[in-house]
Amino acid sequence: MNPLRWAPKQRLERCIALGALVLVAVWPALGLNAYWSHQIFLQTFLFGIAAASLIFLSAYGGMVSLAQTALFGIAGVIIGNLATKGGAGGTSKGLHLGWDPTVAVVVAVVMTTAIGLIFGLVAARSAGIYFLMITLTFSVIATYTLGQVTKISGFSGIGGISSYTPGWLGDVLAHPDRLYYLALGVAVAVYVLIRYIVRTPFGLSLQGVRDEPVRMSSLGYNVALHRTLAFGFAAFVASLGGILYVWWSGQIAPGNVDLPGTINLLVMAVIGGLVRIEGAWLGAFVFIVIQNYVRDFAVPGLSFGGTLFGGSFNTIVGIIFLVIVLASPAGLMGAWDRAVAELSRRRGPPRTADEPAPGPGS
Amino acid sequence: MLVAVVGLTVTASVSFAGAKAGVVKVAIMTDCKGAFSFGYDYDSGGAQAAFAQYAHGKVKNKNKPSAGMTGITAGGKQIKIVGYGCGNDTVPLAVTETKRLMEKLNADVMVGPLSGDEAVYVANYAKAHPNKTFIIGTAGSQDPTLQIAPKNVFRYHGDGAMWNAGAGEIAYKKLKWRKAAIIMDDYSFGWTSAAGFIADFCAIGGEITKRVFPPLNTTDYAPFVRQLPPPNQVDGYFWVVGGSGTAPSLKAFEQAYGKLDPKKLYGNLFFAFLGADKVVAPKVAGAYVGGFGTAPGLKTKAANAYRAIMKKYYPKLPPDDGFVYNYYNAAWALVQALNKDGGAIGSKLQAAMPRSIKPAFQVSNGGVLHLDSNRQGIQDQYPLQLVKGANGAVAANVVGFVPDVDQSFHGLFKRSSPPPGRTQPKCVKAKLPWQGKIKVVKNGVITKQTIK
Repeated sequence: MNPLRWAPKQRLERCIALGALVLVAVWPALGLNAYWSHQIFLQTFLFGIAAASLIFLSAYGGMVSLAQTALFGIAGVIIGNLATKGGAGGTSKGLHLGWDPTVAVVVAVVMTTAIGLIFGLVAARSAGIYFLMITLTFSVIATYTLGQVTKISGFSGIGGISSYTPGWLGDVLAHPDRLYYLALGVAVAVYVLIRYIVRTPFGLSLQGVRDEPVRMSSLGYNVALHRTLAFGFAAFVASLGGILYVWWSGQIAPGNVDLPGTINLLVMAVIGGLVRIEGAWLGAFVFIVIQNYVRDFAVPGLSFGGTLFGGSFNTIVGIIFLVIVLASPAGLMGAWDRAVAELSRRRGPPRTADEPAPGPGS
Repeated sequence: MLVAVVGLTVTASVSFAGAKAGVVKVAIMTDCKGAFSFGYDYDSGGAQAAFAQYAHGKVKNKNKPSAGMTGITAGGKQIKIVGYGCGNDTVPLAVTETKRLMEKLNADVMVGPLSGDEAVYVANYAKAHPNKTFIIGTAGSQDPTLQIAPKNVFRYHGDGAMWNAGAGEIAYKKLKWRKAAIIMDDYSFGWTSAAGFIADFCAIGGEITKRVFPPLNTTDYAPFVRQLPPPNQVDGYFWVVGGSGTAPSLKAFEQAYGKLDPKKLYGNLFFAFLGADKVVAPKVAGAYVGGFGTAPGLKTKAANAYRAIMKKYYPKLPPDDGFVYNYYNAAWALVQALNKDGGAIGSKLQAAMPRSIKPAFQVSNGGVLHLDSNRQGIQDQYPLQLVKGANGAVAANVVGFVPDVDQSFHGLFKRSSPPPGRTQPKCVKAKLPWQGKIKVVKNGVITKQTIK
């Protein structure tokens, strides 16, 4: 971890990352725009976590999963059913079992991970478009199960969940900064954990499975098991995002995990780039900024009803998505990599700190 | 990224700083997508007509209410409509739109939302934001003013159950139903709407023999229609399938049991409103229909005056539609409160919100609608019937007047009782305050004769 041994690109990226981290860490403390901290950044953190689970599977397992939104929602539904209370002033939907929220969190994470392992077990032997279709099926099953099993959710979903947070977190409605810092901490922890996992023997063999599944199998590696475990790990990550989401929004409904919700998460991951974990938060940030600001963007003389685009913001998101994908199939992170590579090519071969500086006359 | 963040933040901060002091910021939360997308203009038009009539608002475009309005003032303060919420009848979008309107555009007051599930979310949101004021637009769920009931949420119209008050008694007395089956959309509004009929019908002695629940957005209703008892086993069916499901569900029934008999079908508002007047109503002309808190065709001075106001500002909107009427009353109540408290917002505004107003279709109590202790309106209701007019078109006409319907149905629904659901409420005989007091309405005039 000697910064002097980092390549210039690494050094630049880490400076930017550190700067961004410091900025978001001090944002609430400096009393800057609360809408940005409690809406834009907080959503970036939690949707970024879910998108990171998708990018982990894609970048290191070679599996593009459409089930991550479903797993994200399943964790939220479990929390909603276990932690909320019924009766006067309580929630009127779901099982409202009134468990201790901390216990509910543990159970939600364990159950979602287990469901992820089952999903992975079913999908592990397929690849490419077939894998995509199987995971899409998981997503559809989750949507219809939540919509039609009214005891656990129903179309209306479960509301008022923000009032049932663990004691160690406290009242996130009265103190939204607590949830902000928790989400930031979890996002950083997830990033570090994924970076660690992909360097372990499991992570390295998973990358081998991604590149050469037949060769890995002939070497004695259990390809299906690696994929299943990767899916289980991604479900664990998605569950963290889902739990933070229900504490932030206070509700969970089938509309959170339906096809548009599934596509939204994929769009975030693709905008950021399916090749690097950092792309998860970058893609989520760009998507959420577009979603929030295109709606109210007014051009004098062209605006109507206070907005230029009215209800057509999905069209705008779609156009921006198309432009990004056409210009850089590897998303914004891919565009960044290419730009830095091009710059380096023009400047000459990269040089590390160990290399002696060119001497006079050389 | 850093540059973008700082740039956008500065822009946002400048826009907030640029807001004039003394401006009351109002957001109109409605739907612009999904089954109720037409509500975008109906709802904004209803609210803005009230601003135009009572708060000096200037209409920008008579044919397009969502074009906005300028010059609104009340209580000596300027009222600025800072944004229009664009929901789609689902909670996830209600979350982002509510936060956008109330936190990004910094609205002090929300007039809305449109649908039941959205209102449940907004009521929960309101609990966490006590300084903001919420006046429900036309949402029919029970929870916002019964189970949740935060002090900063007001509703000047009935819920889905209240809208069907009197329907059970009409089915029992006019159609001679004793046993009925219900098909209802499997979500909160479907359950709440059916709950009103169940409570009313069972109270007078009727029996519900079967409840069937097609999921929302079902495309093939045949399996659900087949779960209903055949016509020779029940006296009739209460039909609570809405949106794009009404016509196909009736078609499935027709294919299973033959031609539709209007005397065996009783619809909720989905038979008469939301565009059903063109597609569904002609198929079931003669059938009775639950209400929407409005009184199409009622000839009273107040009703006619209200229709004239709507015609003046937005001539293309149907004034007797609940989407227009309920938003109109919500905005009108807001103007009254701002006039009373000198344009103050927050807790002062909430204290000043009128506990009684005089809406156009309220007749009881000298035309005064009172709020109950949960800030929920106690409202007259109007059962309807689909009638073929001289021009051949089928339209809903008022046939009954149900005075002073309260949300609890005289104690049947309580804060601590389970909200309407698949098995709630139970079918129990009871004495409802309006039982035996439903007046016949003939040619738009409330008679002294009761429904027999």
